[in-house]
Amino acid sequence: MKPQNVVEFADQLSRRRALGIALATVAFLGVQLVARPVFRSDGYGASGPRAYMWALNAAALLLLLLPAGGFIWGRRVRELVNDEVSRANARTGAAAGFWMAMAAALAVYAVAASRALSAREAAYVVVTPATAVALLAFAWLESRAHRDG
Amino acid sequence: MSGLGDQLANRLREERTRRNLTQAQLAELVGVSRKTINTVENGIFIPSTVLSLRLAKALGTTVEELFQLR
Repeated sequence: MKPQNVVEFADQLSRRRALGIALATVAFLGVQLVARPVFRSDGYGASGPRAYMWALNAAALLLLLLPAGGFIWGRRVRELVNDEVSRANARTGAAAGFWMAMAAALAVYAVAASRALSAREAAYVVVTPATAVALLAFAWLESRAHRDG
Repeated sequence: MSGLGDQLANRLREERTRRNLTQAQLAELVGVSRKTINTVENGIFIPSTVLSLRLAKALGTTVEELFQLR
C-alpha cells in the first residue's frame, strides 16, 4: 500500500528499518559463525581486507543506533523516524549492548588466566555480542512500538 | 511492563476516538510518528512533558485529563 502522507511514509520507513536492522544483525552473526575470522589458524582474516571487514561491519551496524541518516527523505521524515520513542529505544538498545560488553569483557578476563588472548581476539569477543545485542534489542523495541493493541 | 509505566494511566485512546481521529491523524496534528501515539496509548512509552502538553493541546484537553496516577 502506498503511503498517503508524511506520517504514514515515516511509519513505513521505520518498520523497514527495524526489519532491516534485525536481518543485518542476524547476517553479521551468521558470517561470524561461519568465517570465525579472528580465531582461525589458517591465516584467514589475519591480513588484507579480511582483517578489517569484521570491524567495519560492526562499526557500520553500531552507527544504525544513532539518530542520523536518511538525508534523502528530508528533515520532516527524519524527525518522525527518529522521534522520542526511537531515541529512547536506541538508548535502551545501547544500554543492553553495554551490559553484554561488560559480561563478555569479564569472561575474557577469566579465560585469559588459562589461555592467552591477543588484543584482536579480546576485542572481537567483546564487540561482536555487544553489537548484536544492542541492535537486536533496538530492532525488537521498534517492532513492538509498531504493533497495534 | 514494570516501573513508572505501571503507575500511569492514560485516556489518550478514548480522547482520540471521541474526536474520530486515527492514530496517524493525531500524530500529524502533534508532529510525531504514529508509533509514538501507539506506544503512549498502550502504556509502553511514558511521554515527555513537552509531548504530553502537545497531545493535550491537539485534543483540546489538559494533561491532567489525559494522564492520571493509578
